[in-house]
Amino acid sequence: MEKQSREGMEEYWHWFCASLFSEPSLEKKLLKRFGTPMAVFHAAEEEIRMVSPRNEKKLSAFCAGRKRWNFSQERERLARLGIRFVSMEQEEYPSRLKGLTDAPCGLFFRGTLPSDDRPAVAIVGARNCSAYGNSVSYWFAKELAGQGVQIISGMARGIDGTSHRGALAAGGETYAVLAGGVDRCYPEENRDIYMEMEKKGGLISESPPGIRPLTFLFPLRNRILSGLADAVLIIEAKEKSGSLITADCALEQGRDVYAVPGPLGEALSEGCHNLIRQGAGLAVSPEKLMEDLMILPGINMKNVQKNKITLERSEYLVYSCLRLQAQNLGEICEATQLSPQDALRILAKLQLKGYAKEVSRNYYAAAKKL
Amino acid sequence: MFSKVWSAGIGGVDAYPVRVEADVSDGLPQFLLVGYLASEVKEAGDRVRTALKNVGCPLPAKRITVNLAPASVRKAGTRFDLAVAAAVLASIQKIPAENLEGLMIAGELSLSGQVLGIPGVLALTEAAGEAGVKRCIVPAVNAREGALIQKTEVIGVSDLAELIELLRHPEKGIPATADTGELLERHASEEKEDFSQIRGQKAIRRAAEIAAAGMHNLLMIGPPGSGKTMIARRIPGILPGMTLEESLKITKIYSVAGLLTPESPLLTRRPFRAPHHTTTAEALAGGGRLPLPGEISLSTGGILFLDELPEFRRSALEILRQPLEEHRICISRTAGTYVFPADFMLVAAMNPCSCGCYPDRNHCSCSPREIARYLGRLSQPLLDRIDLCIQVPKLSYEELQKGKENENSAAIRKRVEEAHRIQKERFGGENACFNSRLGIRDTEYFCRLGIAEKKLLKQAFEKLSLSARAYHRLLRVSRTIADLAGEERVLEEHILEALGYRPLERSEWLRGV
Repeated sequence: MEKQSREGMEEYWHWFCASLFSEPSLEKKLLKRFGTPMAVFHAAEEEIRMVSPRNEKKLSAFCAGRKRWNFSQERERLARLGIRFVSMEQEEYPSRLKGLTDAPCGLFFRGTLPSDDRPAVAIVGARNCSAYGNSVSYWFAKELAGQGVQIISGMARGIDGTSHRGALAAGGETYAVLAGGVDRCYPEENRDIYMEMEKKGGLISESPPGIRPLTFLFPLRNRILSGLADAVLIIEAKEKSGSLITADCALEQGRDVYAVPGPLGEALSEGCHNLIRQGAGLAVSPEKLMEDLMILPGINMKNVQKNKITLERSEYLVYSCLRLQAQNLGEICEATQLSPQDALRILAKLQLKGYAKEVSRNYYAAAKKL
Repeated sequence: MFSKVWSAGIGGVDAYPVRVEADVSDGLPQFLLVGYLASEVKEAGDRVRTALKNVGCPLPAKRITVNLAPASVRKAGTRFDLAVAAAVLASIQKIPAENLEGLMIAGELSLSGQVLGIPGVLALTEAAGEAGVKRCIVPAVNAREGALIQKTEVIGVSDLAELIELLRHPEKGIPATADTGELLERHASEEKEDFSQIRGQKAIRRAAEIAAAGMHNLLMIGPPGSGKTMIARRIPGILPGMTLEESLKITKIYSVAGLLTPESPLLTRRPFRAPHHTTTAEALAGGGRLPLPGEISLSTGGILFLDELPEFRRSALEILRQPLEEHRICISRTAGTYVFPADFMLVAAMNPCSCGCYPDRNHCSCSPREIARYLGRLSQPLLDRIDLCIQVPKLSYEELQKGKENENSAAIRKRVEEAHRIQKERFGGENACFNSRLGIRDTEYFCRLGIAEKKLLKQAFEKLSLSARAYHRLLRVSRTIADLAGEERVLEEHILEALGYRPLERSEWLRGV
């Protein structure tokens, strides 16, 4: 069983990470005591248990798992699933994570890992987001990805999913950091981007394949999410939101945190506004954000040229009332003093021209010309 | 001695003649009723015997046999009591048998000899008129209802003694009268619910007007307390007044269902039926061994309002498919197949999600999946039969306080009446045909489009990803909007407005989420 090569060591890492993926602190302690995962593998059970008497139960289960582990079988399993493993000792391991105190010992991934040479921005936000959050996240992701920025997010419903979509629409690269194994598509409704990202980016997780996305894994994955990025952008978060955990991780890791402001009085704006109050950067547009991050725009200037807006007077009247937040027909009628039938007519025209969109039945929002 | 008299049974919403035959002969004293009878009809024997005794006409100790022909049809209900009594009286020669000729009798008896009201008198006198029966004797409480059909004489009796007197001296009978014109007039002025009571909600008022003008089915989506029910209740008031013919047709259904009161024998207000969401498929469609009209039939000519649409049982909702398409419902039972009219306008209301607040994210924390699941309780085929869909927003305090009175129902009704007239002219037929009832081929024929309109539709089709079904519904609604505007042709502006009311498609529902 003695394997001295580097490749051999990688297999020990694989075993180590697959067994302790949810216990980063135990990983640290064991490595500190024994040096390498190989040494851990061959250590006596008593010695291992001594490392953390508090976690004796877990550690004895860990030791029992050692005996069952079959290196070749596990290697084949990974290959069969098309999943790769990279430990922190490898070249390929993202250098952004290397310096972190709580860096994962290894990553399982499909597709590729984010490149170290190009900028990366994480975009996270509320699952149950509003139409406003949706369009803003899409816009930021698309513009940033169009300039070669790698978009990192968590593939959750809402903001996360739309950010991936925006990046994919721009033909950019986007990476999802998952809580469960990378062979698990969660949530199921994002299967389309899950499939797409394998080709245009990657799916990354600390958990070995087959692990379900359990609740306690989400805060752990947030540290990787923020760690892989140069800056974290929060779009729509309630006062108590999971996205704020990501923001905290980012601050601990020394990443820049940016937040997109929302309308006052909306529950979904509160988290972002609090962040801004506490000193987070104010993200007002993708261009400004890139300026702040000192990302030089690529040659892709196609989108920058202004579209000449040709709207009739009445259309302009309605268009000027529309906002990024959805408004219902009654409010629009009130603001424009138009009859509902006229307002509907003009709104239909604006929709056809791409200046407005109906986000829910008879709720309209201004559509950014993307 | 043998004697006979006509009575009538009810099948579906129509009456069919039943011949009640009685014979008195020697033998063991017995009162026999035959002719495929339900138990309440069999019990007529005891009621008749006792009632006759109590009005001083005891039956002789003989064998009395009563047959209800045709004996192959199942007969139910208590309406045969009076006819049985009359036939028996004639066969024991208490009344002259020839006086029963050309007579139809129906009514329930109490033991004291009092005549009780029965359902379906209108259907009965109608059948009598068609069969050439000259005179009908019905319970006094139902006499005015029966007299609405002016083809036959209707006389009401309130007790058995009165009936005996009438049969002995037919010339003494005073036919009941009902002034249909006056009845129709009376109610028009009694309408309490008016559109002017609705504050704000301009968009939904407009949608209701279009729906009424083309008899389109309407779905209102809005948070609780936004006034969906209030609006629905006022829609019958903006539909054109009923003609006598129409009113009689609906009154007949109510008559069979036993829902008429002696004070208002003629239904003059368009029906508004709002069954609770726990209702069963049978209650909606019509049920029972011998089926009675269900809610969908009772809302013929008016509104069937289904509040909290997704909360209805799936089985109950799916039963609406046939009636929404064919405007009638066939119910098959062992006793036969019954056809009930079901020519109603469906108005449905629902919340946008289970908490009711979506898309207001301050109050709604439903996940997209929950919202999708909520909508998923409605089947696509049902949604496909709904032409108009509109969101009813919650009103702010300011809007509630705004003193300005809105347009009243009468003004809206005027426009709707005009649109109905235009449609009637266009479709030529006698029976009311509306834009919403157009088939695919007729839709394309009556909604011919110009070049600009076609271009617009193409654009809309691609940009808004409309389906083929949505396309035809869009045309029909555009046609109605054009009719309201008095336009001969469907123009761009009509289509543009119709786009704002286009019905839900499940995939579309979550586009913005």
